[in-house]
Amino acid sequence: MAQAAAARAGASLRKTSRKSLRNTWGKSAWIGLAFVAPAVAFSLVFDWYPMLEGMYRSLFSWDGFGKPLFVGLRNFADIFRDEVFWIAVKNMLFFLAANLVLMFPTIIACVVLFRIRSGRAQFVYRVLFCIPMVVPYMVVILMWKFMYNPQYGVFNNLLALLDLKELQRTWLGDPRLVKWCIVFMGFPFVTTNAALIYLGGLKSISESVWEAAMLDGCGPVRKFVSLEFPLIAGQFKLNLIGAISGAITGYGLQMILTKGGPGHSSLVPGLYMYNQAFSAKRFGFASAIGMVLFLVSLLVTLLTMRFVKGQEDIK
Amino acid sequence: MTSGYPRSEIADSRPSKRKALRSVGEVFKNLYISITCVCLLLPLIIMLSMSVKDKHQVVFDFFRIAPPFHFENYAVALKYISPYVVNSVFMAVATTALSVLIACLAAYAFGRLEFPGKNLLFGLLFAKMMLPGIMNLIPSFTLAMKMGILDTTLPVILFGAGTAQPYWVFVLRTFVKGQPQELFEAMRIDGAGEVRIFTQLAVPLLRPMITLMSINVFLAVWNDYIWPLVTIQTQSRRPLTVGIAYLTQAHPGDFGMLAAAYTLAALPLVIMFMLGMRQFIEGLTAGAIKL
Repeated sequence: MAQAAAARAGASLRKTSRKSLRNTWGKSAWIGLAFVAPAVAFSLVFDWYPMLEGMYRSLFSWDGFGKPLFVGLRNFADIFRDEVFWIAVKNMLFFLAANLVLMFPTIIACVVLFRIRSGRAQFVYRVLFCIPMVVPYMVVILMWKFMYNPQYGVFNNLLALLDLKELQRTWLGDPRLVKWCIVFMGFPFVTTNAALIYLGGLKSISESVWEAAMLDGCGPVRKFVSLEFPLIAGQFKLNLIGAISGAITGYGLQMILTKGGPGHSSLVPGLYMYNQAFSAKRFGFASAIGMVLFLVSLLVTLLTMRFVKGQEDIK
Repeated sequence: MTSGYPRSEIADSRPSKRKALRSVGEVFKNLYISITCVCLLLPLIIMLSMSVKDKHQVVFDFFRIAPPFHFENYAVALKYISPYVVNSVFMAVATTALSVLIACLAAYAFGRLEFPGKNLLFGLLFAKMMLPGIMNLIPSFTLAMKMGILDTTLPVILFGAGTAQPYWVFVLRTFVKGQPQELFEAMRIDGAGEVRIFTQLAVPLLRPMITLMSINVFLAVWNDYIWPLVTIQTQSRRPLTVGIAYLTQAHPGDFGMLAAAYTLAALPLVIMFMLGMRQFIEGLTAGAIKL
């Protein structure tokens, strides 16, 4: 009885609200919906649906073509027993640590650049900082791959020139060196994207703040610690989240440079997921790896947002 | 072209010793940044020098830049990569056009119009902005397979436009909301319909943001490697990133030609960058902080 009454009440409520909708907004309601429909549809079909489908598929054993077989959480149990996965996680933690430490050269370069008094020089440097961004990343990676080439590459050539042949290495072919080589590829560790964020942040700080610092006459290091860094803390947080989630879920660099090799010495979980899907055709298992990475990355991002201090008004 | 620090009179009236110290500081700062820039561009400089060498020069005269210059490397490279350039330009332009159009429509409606379910739909887009995209690759591939669009440029265009929406609708909506209400009211009173207001008022006002979005979406497609690699199998339909990676595998040891190909691959955007430098940099900076 009560349910029926509630249903009837609901129906009549819906009817009146629809009526009032038409009265209040009239045609504009439909126009509004029509305007947002394409964006919402694209997001639902090409972004939301794949994500949810992936979560669902992580519960199946599936080769991508045949009939998926429901296996519950077995894929996840398999992941945790998979030795290769844990090697990949260890490598990933190495890259994560490197990513975090190597955030600082960018910050220092930006602060120093910003302190240069000549506006013209600042502009020229900013242009030079931007150039790596318009050169396809692939070109940069392939150039580095060539530079590490043991036979013809720059590094071994240079060592030969300096008469230090005994220091020559196979670089990317050396399991002990390969991770360091991949990290060193960022040299001089100025990330254009992050640099632009910091420079934007420094620029948006009002002039009076700088003037006050000028009057106080504090030294360059103190000025960085007590003034500039706190003022770009919001940007730092943003880049920190990018650096962390990039290390956890990224794998393009390893894929192009080494394919995770030699052996598994530069394999990362994202690349393992890719290989499991497209080479081993274990789509369910690969989706489960994706799910783990998704959750870890989301969790770490939320924790960073919650616990790292920064201005909340990054707008 | 403003420098960060105001040159206040107080600073200038300080004793000359301090001034000298300051100019020494300037020299160091400039030196530091210059060296950073050189290191940053070193791979590209090596690339340029290599692109005019033949194999013998690369192997035996790596660090010397001297004639004979082998510009024919470029002719050979151009033959290999020009189809890839065409593919990349097409995909990047189509993705940019499509995603800008639908993002502008949505941003205008979310920012200016009232309609049922507005908050819900906006929340739907907004939530996706926070979620990592790592899960998407495999199901996106199977979805493209089911749609029968594998081995065409459509997966790049459609999925590219779809994943660009949350962030850019959010950014554009913020901008739409900041536009003066009176202009819209005036036009509405004149009896203009929403479509006309959108095309004749909102879009022109959004122009700087549209430029910004275009640059960023274009760059994302231009640089993408993994997604086109898995969805496009036919070599001649693949984009530049996949193309030069393939070329590197297919012609090992032909370093001069490969370096020339890399240079040519970088060229279109570098030229665009040179032409619209200021806009480009401002755009990239603004894009970076407008989250």
